[in-house]
Amino acid sequence: MSIILVGFNHKTAPIEVRERFAFTDERARASLQTLVDNEKINEGLIISTCNRVEVLAALGHDDERLGSGTKTEEGTAEGVHHINRFFSSQHQADPALLRDYSYTHVDEKAVRHVFRVASSLDSMVVGEPQVLGQMRHAYSLAVAAGTAGRVLHRLVHHAFRVAKRVRNETGIASSAVSISYTAVELGKKIFDSLEGHTILLVGAGEMAELAAKHLVNAGAKKILIANRTYSAAQALADKFSGEAIEFSTLNHYLREADIVICSTGATEGNYVITKQMAQQALSARRNRQIFFIDISVPRNVDPAIGDIDNLFVFDIDDLESVVASNIRERKHEAQRAELIVEAEVAQFQQALNTLNIGPTVGALRQRIQSIVEAEFARYRRRLGPLTPEQEKIIESMLDSITKKVAHPVISRLRESYQSGDTQTTQAWLNLFSVEEMEEILRKTGS
Amino acid sequence: MKVLLFTALLAYIVAVVYALFSFLRRQQKLGNISLVALICGFVVHTLALILDAQQSKHLPFFQLREIFSLLAWALVIAYFLASRYYRIQAFEIFLLPVIAILLFLSMITPEGDGIMSAATHGLPGGRVALLDGAGAWIFPVHITLLIFSYASFFVVFITSVMYLLQERELKTKTFGTIFHRLPSLTTVDDISMTAAGLGFTFLTLGIAAGMLWASTRDGRVWHNDPKEIFAILTWALYMILIHSRYVGGWRGRKAAWFGIAGFALVLCTFLGTRLMGGYHVFG
Repeated sequence: MSIILVGFNHKTAPIEVRERFAFTDERARASLQTLVDNEKINEGLIISTCNRVEVLAALGHDDERLGSGTKTEEGTAEGVHHINRFFSSQHQADPALLRDYSYTHVDEKAVRHVFRVASSLDSMVVGEPQVLGQMRHAYSLAVAAGTAGRVLHRLVHHAFRVAKRVRNETGIASSAVSISYTAVELGKKIFDSLEGHTILLVGAGEMAELAAKHLVNAGAKKILIANRTYSAAQALADKFSGEAIEFSTLNHYLREADIVICSTGATEGNYVITKQMAQQALSARRNRQIFFIDISVPRNVDPAIGDIDNLFVFDIDDLESVVASNIRERKHEAQRAELIVEAEVAQFQQALNTLNIGPTVGALRQRIQSIVEAEFARYRRRLGPLTPEQEKIIESMLDSITKKVAHPVISRLRESYQSGDTQTTQAWLNLFSVEEMEEILRKTGS
Repeated sequence: MKVLLFTALLAYIVAVVYALFSFLRRQQKLGNISLVALICGFVVHTLALILDAQQSKHLPFFQLREIFSLLAWALVIAYFLASRYYRIQAFEIFLLPVIAILLFLSMITPEGDGIMSAATHGLPGGRVALLDGAGAWIFPVHITLLIFSYASFFVVFITSVMYLLQERELKTKTFGTIFHRLPSLTTVDDISMTAAGLGFTFLTLGIAAGMLWASTRDGRVWHNDPKEIFAILTWALYMILIHSRYVGGWRGRKAAWFGIAGFALVLCTFLGTRLMGGYHVFG
């Protein structure tokens, strides 16, 4: 059997191409039925996010009928071709687009790709966890459509496990890579959690709003908003059920704030929060730490405040350099994640082999055939001279006996295998193990 | 007993190794193994202490090796308590090695070294006399309280170091690998102050018990012994720290440095005075 993945992502295709091939949920549901024709493709799944559109398919479940038990190259090529056709017909797109922008992975490479996507190693921002949720969603669509079979079930669940391992065992997602999230993370390094803490926003602009959103999500208790135009402060306060305060009373409220975020305009050197103000606030709150985040340019918070014990000041450059170092840290951790993925790919391939009954069936048939051939060889001499026609007749007779004996066994084997009854499957296989065979051989020989 | 102590030491070493791996690789599973090893070590260690006391017919308070072992044991308890009440990552990295080292020291310290010769000085019957006579029950109380105060002050020391490490990274805005693995400033600060409060209480009671015991034995409360002087200095320092915290709102860098200085004094009290002689040759 084969696993094929064809798709586009943010690295190979521009947004114009990705949106051209994107699937909405309804579209995906309907298209899955077209994709899985049970001739060339047995199982299918469609992942469609803003950064990637991918079709994952499993095929060749019945390859074992060919006797060899292994997949055929033609089958795989046909499958790829089928998926490509599916892509262009679903979106009435020029097949040239596919040729230019898509990638195709088969078997081990496809497995690796799925694992890397789930672990967020293939994401735009490495380590961001959203893609896992999107993959879960894609999988649930395929399950609902009935196009996820035993190969995809295993593959996707294994991918989820890999993602979990990567998350737990590497620091790939442990550090923030956006300015506002970095601010929240730094806040947690000082205050452990933001729950129950008070935030003071100085300035009611877009940045302030974004930061407030993050902080409220992180559990901040109270939000105070000061703005030169009071009405803007009031508007933002209504949005986050905060409290608007007069800009002139800033000095008074500073002592209540654990985290102060400044994003208002200022003239250079004319700080909104001076060292003296900060010092006063600090003694008024009995030295409890204050974390100043200054995202305004020119700066609003006197950087000299950072020299005072228990006061911490981060300006926009500081935050950006933290982001940069976090991204480096993630890339470093991603290398360790790749090792985990490699190990898991090998493990999955192994599991897949036991999933594949083809070789076993082939071996079984071979075994019966070899018994028959050995017996024929033993008795051949006693038959005396035979004409070539006679010999051919005997051979075809033996061949037909082999098939007649093997057929019910193989079909039962396949039945129990497909119903997931591993015990019975194993029993059948045990019955025809080498030892048993030899025993039978000896008995019939005597 | 040696076998039991050796087993406990092995378990502690396993705990240290897995804690390190867990810290570096961020694998919670390894941390759990470390915890299990620590618990096993603790159980065996406790058993060894009990059996040792039964065999030698005295509580393990007389010899240096016994005190080391007891300190290690008290630190394990301190660790369990701290991790029970606080989400405190990386604490084990600092604490567990010290526990293992203390137990190791206990095992290599020769038998009989540091017997309380001075405390038993002039008493007919020597050491045994400690356990008889008026107020003999006070002695184990005195030692136990002080052991626990030392363990608490050690926790203050570790959390102070953790505070300073993290504070420096936040101030200089350069973040090393340790940054992502340390608990927040307020967490270590909280633990530090709780431990300082506990340690101070133990120290106060321990000193009081010592004075009571001394006065029942020879009528003197104070012997001008170096250990007593250091103990009083230590007591005064933690007193200042705790007082300033509640009255002046001390916290942060200053408090952390105090916690470290306090522990230096504790070390002087514990070990330094052995070299200086006096009433408490060892204790």
